[in-house]
Amino acid sequence: MAATSMAAALAASLPAPTAAPTPVAPTYEAIPASMSKVIDIEAEIPLQVVQLDGLVVTKILKHAREASSATVHGLLLGLDLDGTLEVSNSFALPHHVSDEDEKSAKSSARYQSSMLRSLREVQADDSVVGFYQATTLGAFFNQNLVEIQAIHQDKLRHGGVVIVHDLSLTARGNASFRAFRLTPSFLNAYKKCNFSTSSLVNHRLTFSSILEEIPLQVRINPLLGSFLGSLTKSTPSLLPDATPESATVSVLPPSFSALDLGTTGLTRNLEQIIEAVDNYRTEEGNLAYLSRQIARERARADNYVAKRKEENLARVAQDLAPLPEEDVARLFKIPAEPSRLESMLLLGQIDAYGKSLEGTASSGLIKMYSVKAAST
Amino acid sequence: MALGGSSALHIQSSTISSAPAVPRTPSSITIHPVALFSILDHYLRRTDDQPRVIGTLLGTRSPDNTQIHVRSSFAVLHSENDEQVAVDMEYHRTMYELHSRVTPKETIVGWYSTGSNLNTYSALIQNFYSQETAPHQAIHVALNTGAEEGEEAGVQAYVSSPVGVFPKPENCIFVPVPVRLQFHDAERAGLDLLTQTALSPNSTTAQPVTSIANLDTALNTVMQMLERVLAYVRQVLAGEVEGDKALGRYLMDTLGVAAIGEKGGEDMAFNASLQDTLMISYLANLVRSQAEVSSRLALVTS
Repeated sequence: MAATSMAAALAASLPAPTAAPTPVAPTYEAIPASMSKVIDIEAEIPLQVVQLDGLVVTKILKHAREASSATVHGLLLGLDLDGTLEVSNSFALPHHVSDEDEKSAKSSARYQSSMLRSLREVQADDSVVGFYQATTLGAFFNQNLVEIQAIHQDKLRHGGVVIVHDLSLTARGNASFRAFRLTPSFLNAYKKCNFSTSSLVNHRLTFSSILEEIPLQVRINPLLGSFLGSLTKSTPSLLPDATPESATVSVLPPSFSALDLGTTGLTRNLEQIIEAVDNYRTEEGNLAYLSRQIARERARADNYVAKRKEENLARVAQDLAPLPEEDVARLFKIPAEPSRLESMLLLGQIDAYGKSLEGTASSGLIKMYSVKAAST
Repeated sequence: MALGGSSALHIQSSTISSAPAVPRTPSSITIHPVALFSILDHYLRRTDDQPRVIGTLLGTRSPDNTQIHVRSSFAVLHSENDEQVAVDMEYHRTMYELHSRVTPKETIVGWYSTGSNLNTYSALIQNFYSQETAPHQAIHVALNTGAEEGEEAGVQAYVSSPVGVFPKPENCIFVPVPVRLQFHDAERAGLDLLTQTALSPNSTTAQPVTSIANLDTALNTVMQMLERVLAYVRQVLAGEVEGDKALGRYLMDTLGVAAIGEKGGEDMAFNASLQDTLMISYLANLVRSQAEVSSRLALVTS
């Protein structure tokens, strides 16, 4: 992985090949694994900004809107150079019906590898740098995201990024893309599969410290820029007596969807909050039940130990051999402390829903006052 | 929103379907932006010795087959020189298979090439794609990137028809068909983002933009437009420029809409809506602070 992406990075940093024909095609040898760490300079440079190509923006938008399922996933391709992660292409991943299915996981892997091979043949970037996920109302926290990202963090350089696209914001006229990666402390806890209370305290984990945001830029190449320029350019209409609203024709007329006064999706947002709070309550109930059970079992075990000790004291007093004390752990199965990951993620979801509701409300206020100002 | 030139043939399809076995000729084509952008990206990544690039267009057909919606596209390897043209058919099939796993509804509708010259090779490739899309007709989209001097960026779409007494694959007439850009309203914001990015210096914009900032830009633009109108009206009133009657009527119609409505009812509706909005804002903040408190409480140890 590191070896190939290094080659790609080098190729990109070289000046454009000149017209003079190269006499001998250079031969590439695989960099030995022991050396790849030393040669891979890029991995040392920390990731500062993620740069999203215009093509990827439209691809994610299209995939997110057309997908039948609630969450859509796709892989991001590109390369990292000098602290900037350039995402230049992406492709959608097929939707799984059942995640556990061994067969579907295998076919998905096959799909990915053959897609990457095909893209390489047409000189597209073919190194995976992360994945994208579309969501509604800002709630992108879920187990799935965390799982995929944790796998990527191990396999990819810089740990890979996840780009989150919010569909409901886009529908309201603000195309929103954000880049995230897992924080080291969360990853540490995740690797140990330990989300007990003590582990959370040790790593200082709350829902806001699961992911860290990376600055994101949208960039379009000059060719696309000029093409868009010619699309948005308005030309005088060919009709001689056109009304003022149709006097100029443009393929892509300017829109003001941000000024739309409708508050669609507000009820949906409120419903989502209620649903998330309900889920959280259920989860908390489970946790409380489990911790009560743990406490009960522990109390019984302690009782047993105390009793045995008393008995032993009595036996010693009667000059008898004391009974063994080791079989406590065998007699009482104290359940492991429950994982708090799910409840943490649910809290994160509630927070995100709240945030998006807040955003809608505040921009709604501004719109209301501007309408009032305009109508008086 | 016509993309191509006005010279395109607008075919009026006859309503009487005499022979249902023969599919109708497509009379209008729409293209999704993502297909166009993929073509541009492919063009950028071509090798030096490739004068043009070609690829496959995927999309859907309307039930009566007169409309074709191009939804996406992918690059296909090909090589052409003075003697021959070769298209990597195996690659094309593999890619189509991969694409149809994610978007099963999209089928092959035709092919694209960059540049706007149609030659014998175009006819040959068209012939190949016609076999792929049979029994439907294949369409050809020629995208001029505008990268060469003296040429303007634009998109043209064609259907082909055989020519000659004995139709040969290398001979055909490309008949222009009107082509339009089409996308869903929800995707509009993304395109706006890209056009804004294209206008900004060094072609990058920072993300994420909050909705408030977005609203701010939109309101500022509206204010600028109002100022322009106001300046124009003042000029006309002062007699500096001659007023356009049509424009005046249009302005009156547009601005007249806002004045209609009773005063009292409006205020009441405003207040009711204001209370609702404030309530929602309060609720949102309450929920968020509760969530924060709850997550902190999880960290408290006895």
